[in-house]
Amino acid sequence: MYERSTEKGSVWVTMKRCECSFFFLCWFVRWFVDLGFLERSGFDADAFVLMCAASLKCAARLKKMEKKGQTVEYMCLVRATDGKRNISTSLAAKDYAKFQASYALVLKAHMHALKKRERKDRKKTVEAEKVPEKEPKKQKKSSSKKSSGSK
Amino acid sequence: MVYFDSWDEFVERSVQLFRADPITTRYVMKYRHCDGKLVLKVTDNRECLKFKTDQAQDAKKMEKLNNIFFALMTHGPDADISEVSGKEQAEQQQSKKGRGRRQ
Repeated sequence: MYERSTEKGSVWVTMKRCECSFFFLCWFVRWFVDLGFLERSGFDADAFVLMCAASLKCAARLKKMEKKGQTVEYMCLVRATDGKRNISTSLAAKDYAKFQASYALVLKAHMHALKKRERKDRKKTVEAEKVPEKEPKKQKKSSSKKSSGSK
Repeated sequence: MVYFDSWDEFVERSVQLFRADPITTRYVMKYRHCDGKLVLKVTDNRECLKFKTDQAQDAKKMEKLNNIFFALMTHGPDADISEVSGKEQAEQQQSKKGRGRRQ
């Protein structure tokens, strides 16, 4: 994406936290809907009830875990887009160090359009600032000399 | 929407925003190569914090912020950011030492 957008366009990378249990809940909801459709088309009713009960139990267990504050796994959702294509990934706590290292490499390799520090100009400005500071000192000295000479 | 002038203030406020509302807060990084501009945005759909730069030296700071947000998002809002920044500082010190020996 970074390579493709060198001439025009920009790249957006979004990071967001999402909980592991949230994924499960979404999955169960989708499962319910799918099963509902299956039942209408002549799916075995007993199997459907059993599956529903199992999924409800799992959902309830996850909620309990959340309430007790037990190991709720955090996931980091990373999405990237250039306006046309989207790519996304989710990171667990284990993978994040590895991903972050390779991500930093990609950024370093492609973010070379940013301006570097202009040291020469800075030196010039510093010198320009110093020169007027020196001048009044000289004047003071000369004035003091003059005053001493007049005496 | 506010563009921050100071980097430290932006980092502080964005971490505060994430800790206040970790579920809805997101961190967006926009990079435009042809203009050489980088815009960082942290928002929770109510408050929006932005930082714009075209300096290469700010890319390193941006990487630090990436690390901070990765740590916060994967380990939870109570995670220690000081570990991330502490490691980086140690690495910087080591690299400085290395340079000194070479000279």
